Amino acid sequence: MLAPGGVLMFVVIVVPLAVALYVSLLDLDQYTFRQWVHAPFIRLGNYSEAIQRSNLLHSIRISVGYATIVTLATLPIGLAAALATQNRFRGRGLVRSIFLIPYVLPAFVVGTVWRIILQPDGIAEHTLSRFGVSEDLWLNGPRSFWALVIVQIWASWPLVYLLALAGLQSIDHTMHEAAALDGTGWWSKLRYVIFPFLRGPVTLAMLIAFLHNVNNFTLPFVLFGVPSPRDVEVLPVLTYVEGFQNFRFGVSAAMAVFSVVLIAIPLAAYLRAVRLDVGQA
Amino acid sequence: MTAKRFLFALACAIVMATPLSACTAEPAAEPGLPGVGKTLNVLVSANSIYPTQQKQWFDDVSAKFKTQTGASVTFETFASPNDELTKIQTSVLSSQGPDVYSLGTTFTPTAYATGAFVELTADDWAKVGGRDRFLPATLGISGPDKQHEVGIPFTSRPFVMAYNTEMLKAAGIAKPADTWDGLLAQAKTLTTGGNFGLAVAYGDSFDPWKFIWAMSVQAGNPLVNGGKAQLDQESTLKAYQTYLGWLATDKVVDPAAAGWKNAQAIAAFGAGKAAFLPMVSATSKVTLDKSSVAGKYSYAIMPTIPPGATSLPAGGVAATSILSGDNLVVAKYSKNKDLALSLVKMLTSAEAQETYYKTFGELPTNAEYAKTLQSDPALAAIVDSSGKASGTPFSGAWSQIQLALVNVVVQSVPNLAAGKVDQAQLKSLVAQAQTAAQSALDKAK
Repeated sequence: MLAPGGVLMFVVIVVPLAVALYVSLLDLDQYTFRQWVHAPFIRLGNYSEAIQRSNLLHSIRISVGYATIVTLATLPIGLAAALATQNRFRGRGLVRSIFLIPYVLPAFVVGTVWRIILQPDGIAEHTLSRFGVSEDLWLNGPRSFWALVIVQIWASWPLVYLLALAGLQSIDHTMHEAAALDGTGWWSKLRYVIFPFLRGPVTLAMLIAFLHNVNNFTLPFVLFGVPSPRDVEVLPVLTYVEGFQNFRFGVSAAMAVFSVVLIAIPLAAYLRAVRLDVGQA
Repeated sequence: MTAKRFLFALACAIVMATPLSACTAEPAAEPGLPGVGKTLNVLVSANSIYPTQQKQWFDDVSAKFKTQTGASVTFETFASPNDELTKIQTSVLSSQGPDVYSLGTTFTPTAYATGAFVELTADDWAKVGGRDRFLPATLGISGPDKQHEVGIPFTSRPFVMAYNTEMLKAAGIAKPADTWDGLLAQAKTLTTGGNFGLAVAYGDSFDPWKFIWAMSVQAGNPLVNGGKAQLDQESTLKAYQTYLGWLATDKVVDPAAAGWKNAQAIAAFGAGKAAFLPMVSATSKVTLDKSSVAGKYSYAIMPTIPPGATSLPAGGVAATSILSGDNLVVAKYSKNKDLALSLVKMLTSAEAQETYYKTFGELPTNAEYAKTLQSDPALAAIVDSSGKASGTPFSGAWSQIQLALVNVVVQSVPNLAAGKVDQAQLKSLVAQAQTAAQSALDKAK
């Protein structure tokens, strides 16, 4: 019964990954890619070039830093939103739908709209100047990093919200009743009754969010364009530029392999924690 | 059930609509023509200014080609240079896709480097109507030399400078300067009352390198010389200082321009907020004629004397623009090479080029038709620029060099806001660009 799943996994995951690994060992560029199987085999040359002569390490730092901050910041926002909309009230359906808007908007649209907001002499600058903040450059320079963080938080917190809400729904109402009968205060109820139920879904949400943030290409690409300002030169954009602007497909594939390793670390930790990897005994 | 029914109806509608949309009304081909039953695929850039006219043009071309050869033409469009690149890469790799591509001139060297496009023999040139049917200047970026040409000039889009005639008149300036220093002096005079002398798109992904290239080549540095990158020469540093200085220290550009794309610079000029708009093509006319400066602006060629000079230095080239426009290339994998060349012949004929110019405002590459446009005073500057444009280095590494040149500007922008051009930082960025350019050139084959 494993055959269909196995074939699917082979075709969808194993084959492209193997091709990517192979390409990362070739000197593949605009001169050789027409007959790419004949491109010179250069072993780990692309990997050493990526580490020594490109901005790879800098990009990994930026990507991990930004993904971590965004993931941590979306946690309290998502949780608070889920808790706030858990109890029935008039217009709850509407509020819940509105909460999902940032999440369902395509990243391209989010990027374009925020680009207009944050551009010099834009809405952000005018609004902030009323509060005495005279910053105008959000799409380049050190503040661009924070622009990326803020926009990504705005776009991605509903994921935590959704999964936290699902977790809340799964709590049996008798638990709430029992807590009420015991005269538990709201904080104690939250801390000892609700949070333990949320640990699973929220951890999953954070893991997905982290992986999504590390892999996010569209938002930084649309917000900042290429060449990317150095402060927001995230790994996916660097990989893209190396492959599709500089035509160094081999180096680009090596960078992609690094990013696979990068996302495999938290994934492995998570799988180990929930023991999904032991399979069914 | 309702949803299912709806989906079923939708599916039916799609299935029924597909063949209808696929066969638009086209004349039946006469039997006996060489292309009967064949279809040519052509990839062109989507025209965002004239989308409806472009669709009509596609239909007209296909219909006309069918009467001539019996074959129909299917057009595909790409929205951005990145789109185009991805399409070319996948087609070249899989050896299937469009038969004919319309490529931007500066991308032609990269396309040539892939070895995926037909190098035109004398016979091939004859099939497209002869090499001499084209304006000689437009052939400057068809290949590394006459024997190895892949690009057939299709349209010419030289860069010029728009200027606000009323602002210049009010300031007592008779005409735009022909030196970059003179232009800066005029821009300073015109920066007054909330208006700025220049509208420049510092945040554009392409514009900045064109300025740096122009000023460098005018000073005698073509940036690439015999496989050696020369980005770190004094002339190029001076070009960067001048270009960045307009915003940072001379303050003749709106500070918001640090993030502008080309369209935003055009919009600022169109709103009457700037006196000069350098580095635009004739396609800006459509936007400007609908703006508040309609009837109050004119085009001139950009300065050809490099910064810091009063006359063209020895070895300098008085380039008014990069050689800009589109080339047609035929894919090697195409099974319809002769048909493809027939289509190119049709598209570059005087008659077709006239239609194209009248529909889209893009200048012809056909010498015969170009001659008739020379007398039009409204086009004088643009035609002038077309003749004085100079080709960017024909190297497969040029796209990488372009990117390296723009990167210097992108990374310098944060300092501009602080009102300075940081010399040490600029030198180090230019040195990085030089290394990147040289390493790209070293790999060129």
